[in-house]
Amino acid sequence: MSKTGALPKAILDLDRIVHEPARLAILTVLASAEEVAFLFLQRITGLSKGNLSSHTQKLEATGYLETVKVFQGRIPVTSFRITEDGRTALRLYHQQLRSLLPKEGKP
Amino acid sequence: MTTPELEALGALTREYAAFQSRKSGLATALGGLMAVVLVIAALSPNFMGVHFTDRLLIEYLVWVPFLWLALKGLVSRTLYRGLGTVKPTPDGAYERRRWFWILGLALFLLAVTLTAMYAFASGFLQSNHSRAALCPPPMWILVMPFLYLLPMPWLIRGIEEARVYSVLVAQCILWLIPFFLFSFGPPNPPMQSGWGLFGNLTGIVLVVLIELIQIWGALAMIRGWKEHRKYLAILRALPREA
Repeated sequence: MSKTGALPKAILDLDRIVHEPARLAILTVLASAEEVAFLFLQRITGLSKGNLSSHTQKLEATGYLETVKVFQGRIPVTSFRITEDGRTALRLYHQQLRSLLPKEGKP
Repeated sequence: MTTPELEALGALTREYAAFQSRKSGLATALGGLMAVVLVIAALSPNFMGVHFTDRLLIEYLVWVPFLWLALKGLVSRTLYRGLGTVKPTPDGAYERRRWFWILGLALFLLAVTLTAMYAFASGFLQSNHSRAALCPPPMWILVMPFLYLLPMPWLIRGIEEARVYSVLVAQCILWLIPFFLFSFGPPNPPMQSGWGLFGNLTGIVLVVLIELIQIWGALAMIRGWKEHRKYLAILRALPREA
């Protein structure tokens, strides 16, 4: 198969869980720290509470992140941390995307 | 979402996380200010005889490092955690440098304490020596080096904080030494030839140290303020709430 013929399959092989912009942003933020509070994640991604919850649940179900719930006094605080699988998935996604994109200066 | 945007997200997260563990922003500026105030207080006329409500000024000044720790905690809680906690990725090299500072200060305090103990044990400093012109500091102050050590492993989170705390603690020790030397030291030291030279050398070292502390304090104020502005820039860079 020619190189151009292989492209569609490579595109289809992209991890769709990571490919979604909001989830990509969430994973990028989580990969930059050890543990991130819900509030900060919400502010930095610009997502609404409901949207963020739904995306994090999806990522947790895939095993890309884990939720940490602690009490500060009587207030429950939710934080997230990326798992090793999540880190690997993000790295792989970056590699796949880089190989799919044209080199700089070329159309 | 483009790659530079993703990189910016990562960078913002790392910067914000740094304020939770390594940077102290306004607390650094406050530490610089306190270091300068300590110098000014110690240079005030009759520093060694100044009393406030039956206590020597030095009895208040020795608590300045703890006051800074308390203010640092307050600043960190009220200013730099508004968006929740973000733990930074562990950095072994940074942790080792932090411990280098903690152990360095611990060794300094140990050396000071052992020297003071030896000075009393050898009779160089005499606790029963009475000098009507000078006010001897209370002996409980000798416990301060141990108290300074206690909070370090838990409350000093970054190298910048370790620097500020070390300068404040070292200054307190620096201002305590003359009290003990003049209150409990040998009588009429300037009459002995060795003391004259010692006095001159100590004077030169003291002047150099005072100048260095003032320069450091001014730089810390600028650095702390710049860090704080950087934090405000991080907040401005965050998207508006959805």
